[in-house]
Amino acid sequence: MPALENLLFFLGLLIVAPPVLLLTVFFAAFLADRRMQEGTIGRLIQVTVTSSLLAALSAAAIMLAMGTSQFPVELGDWVITPNYHLKFEFVLDLLSLSYVILTLVLCGTIGAFSTRYMHRESGYNRFFVLFAVFLLGMVTAALSDTVETLFAGWEMVGLSSVLLIAFFQERPAPPRNGLHVWIVYRVCDAALMLAAILMHEINGAGDFDHLVGAHAWPEHDPLLMGPHFALLGVLFIIAAAGKSALVPFSGWLPRAMEGPTPSSAVFYGALSVHLGVFLLLRVSPVLDSSPWLSVLVVSLGLVTAGLAYLAGRVQTDIKSALAFASLIQVGIIIAEIGFGFRYLALLHLLGHACLRTLQFLRAPSLLHDHHQLENAIGSRPREEEGIWEQRLPLGMQKWLYRFSLERCYLDSMLERFIARPFVALFHRFDKLERSLARLIEGPPKSPTVVVEARQDLP
Amino acid sequence: MNFPSNPWLELTLLFPILGAIVVSFIRTPALAARWCVGFVLVTLVGSTAAAFSYTRSGGAELRSDTFAIDDLSAPMLPVLTLLHLLTMLGTARSRVSPLFCVRLLLATGITLSALTCHGGSVLVALLVLAVLLPVWDLKSRGLRSRGYWVYMALFIGLLLAGWNRIGTSAPELTVGLLVLALLLRGGVVPLHGWLPTLFQGAAFGTAMLFVLPLMEVLASLRLLLPVAPDWMLKAASNVCLVTAVYGGGMACVQSEVRRFYAHLALSQTSMVLFAVMLHTSNGLTAALCLWISTTLSLAGLALSVRALEARFGALSLREHHGYYEQVPGLAICFLITGLASVGFPGTIGFVPMELLISGSVDQGLWISVTLAFAAMLNGIAIMRTYFALFTGRRPTTSVSLQVTSTERLGIIIIALVVFLGGWFSPAVVASRHRVADELLQQRNGGVPSRESSGGRH
Repeated sequence: MPALENLLFFLGLLIVAPPVLLLTVFFAAFLADRRMQEGTIGRLIQVTVTSSLLAALSAAAIMLAMGTSQFPVELGDWVITPNYHLKFEFVLDLLSLSYVILTLVLCGTIGAFSTRYMHRESGYNRFFVLFAVFLLGMVTAALSDTVETLFAGWEMVGLSSVLLIAFFQERPAPPRNGLHVWIVYRVCDAALMLAAILMHEINGAGDFDHLVGAHAWPEHDPLLMGPHFALLGVLFIIAAAGKSALVPFSGWLPRAMEGPTPSSAVFYGALSVHLGVFLLLRVSPVLDSSPWLSVLVVSLGLVTAGLAYLAGRVQTDIKSALAFASLIQVGIIIAEIGFGFRYLALLHLLGHACLRTLQFLRAPSLLHDHHQLENAIGSRPREEEGIWEQRLPLGMQKWLYRFSLERCYLDSMLERFIARPFVALFHRFDKLERSLARLIEGPPKSPTVVVEARQDLP
Repeated sequence: MNFPSNPWLELTLLFPILGAIVVSFIRTPALAARWCVGFVLVTLVGSTAAAFSYTRSGGAELRSDTFAIDDLSAPMLPVLTLLHLLTMLGTARSRVSPLFCVRLLLATGITLSALTCHGGSVLVALLVLAVLLPVWDLKSRGLRSRGYWVYMALFIGLLLAGWNRIGTSAPELTVGLLVLALLLRGGVVPLHGWLPTLFQGAAFGTAMLFVLPLMEVLASLRLLLPVAPDWMLKAASNVCLVTAVYGGGMACVQSEVRRFYAHLALSQTSMVLFAVMLHTSNGLTAALCLWISTTLSLAGLALSVRALEARFGALSLREHHGYYEQVPGLAICFLITGLASVGFPGTIGFVPMELLISGSVDQGLWISVTLAFAAMLNGIAIMRTYFALFTGRRPTTSVSLQVTSTERLGIIIIALVVFLGGWFSPAVVASRHRVADELLQQRNGGVPSRESSGGRH
């Protein structure tokens, strides 16, 4: 059935093309120094998401009708040398289509919501440019069939997320938190890049099907053994841990709530936070290569869920509480992947993403309703108390409260044992460098001469 | 001098020198700037035409004894001329002086001559000559130049000592002197002290024209690679690797934007030099591609920083300035060029960085890990600086601080280059891979390298 295969190929491209075109339009507007109207941007977003979604749904319907479980969309070799092979390729299968449809549905919803929510906001254009980068990144990552394609999407998602966290840039906290998240993302990006290189070393290419065989997800060849695969698995787990805020990187998730509500909803509640989960689902055969990797994944998931539960219990603002609630579910999904329940994990992911988006979007009006309720009854509604907390000794309760309030000391530990020593070391080098420069340069000239000289620096 | 028959190359080399002579007679800064831009533009047209005519002719008939285009220099001619054009476009009219224009045109002439000269002695002479321009700049401002001069005197001494010893006994000592000289010129740790000093003291434009053409990379390819023993290149590559991490770490903790830029440039240029010293097919391909992407992306980054300095003076990274509201174009330019320099997907730097990290894995996984770590630090430093400069609350001003039409032209050029360069990477990589294999063949005495003749796929 070459005609249907051609159609599938065309539809595969059609899923990616509208977000690319959308970004091109924004780029052209930047080059031409033209400010786009709110209405135009809203319509562009609608058209983009709708056309991509229709293409994805059509592809899914055709594949169901044909009984095809996997269809590669090869764009050909991009860079090829005798020792290096960079290929951009997409794949249509259960995992990629589910995730891309989820992405488009949620981005469509959030896009429509945001055109009203962000109305007359000074950064309206900036928000939608970043939204477009995010959309392209998610679609690229979801459909990727090579680790390089995944990496490209992964980086775009990271960049747009960070800039959206710092969206309200006139305040000091959002940029600070944005930088914190960027640092975590760079660590996980480096891990993913190294994983990509290791994949090239193992297979001579970055294609996922070289790694797991030609079977449709989640089936795979049962021959992935050896220390290389264990190392590859660890790198993928580090990358996923950074992106999905697993222990010890969980501290960035509540910080990410500094951004506008629509971005918090779609990025940290629904899509971005699940990208690490998606990565582990895509490379799940690697995790099967060693029981230790599965144990590591399960432990990471359960510990994350446990700590997120504790931290979530003491949050006093609704977005942070929802962030930790998201993290509990993400931890459980990760544990499911470790246990080998791939379909369950995928279903859990889809359901959780939709529910959490709804909760995030409802959050601002829920607060309003809550205030009305308080006014009506004349007091605060009684808060539910935990069943088991009361049974703990008082000292333990206090310790646990402090522990939870400090978000399990994860951020403090990273800061104390990694960030501070690093900064202190390089500050020392800086001091040394300046002293050496002063020593060579000799005593400074009179300040007047220096000021005069500096005044005409081009 | 023996010029080849290609008139474009002759014109490309003559225009900037002619321009320097013409501009030296002009006393009005604005007029000098216009003439300077005109001459650099004409040089850009000439260098592009020279590169095209070389590519179309297949390269055979354009070789001569002194100046000639070859596969290595053909794409670099327009790239380095563009760097000089961007430097001129990024210089604020209020800060431009006729002397600066003369120096810029002389720098263009020296750089392009060094790129196309084939005699080792001419290249050595041009490398020494290039050192004098920043000294001239520092002296003309009444600033001390000892911090720069001490290092550069050492560089010249080592270079000339090494070059004069060629053909004598103890070839390893000869090559060792050359390696040391070029590492010093590249600013590797601990011989990098001149770089922050230069960026802090000299005009930004002068400093970037001395650092960004990466003449040490050119000299390594022309002078070192054919003769240096493996162990020496390996040792040099390790020093470059340490420098890449050191520069990245230092860029993360700087409190002044010029020192940040100096250390970022140090880290990025060390990566290029590291790739050269790997002397493998993949490493050299990565080096040649990175040379292009690093030069252009750092030039774009400098354009934003200089435009900000022209408006707001010396920039501190200790507080948030909030410049985005007033100059969003510069913010976007800063971000895309900064990210391109660390290999962000879709930009000109992505493929070279992938090639570099993947090409180094043969030397050991720890080397790839170290490179990824250095790239990570650079990425963090860029975002930290972006947030410090462009976020925060900025009081409104009564005068417009919008980008000027010249700056806008620079931004458009660099934005297009950064993104279109990303899309045309495959053709560039293929051509650079050919050059890398030729260089390795020369090193191996005409025998094709084991790697380039086939291998993993």
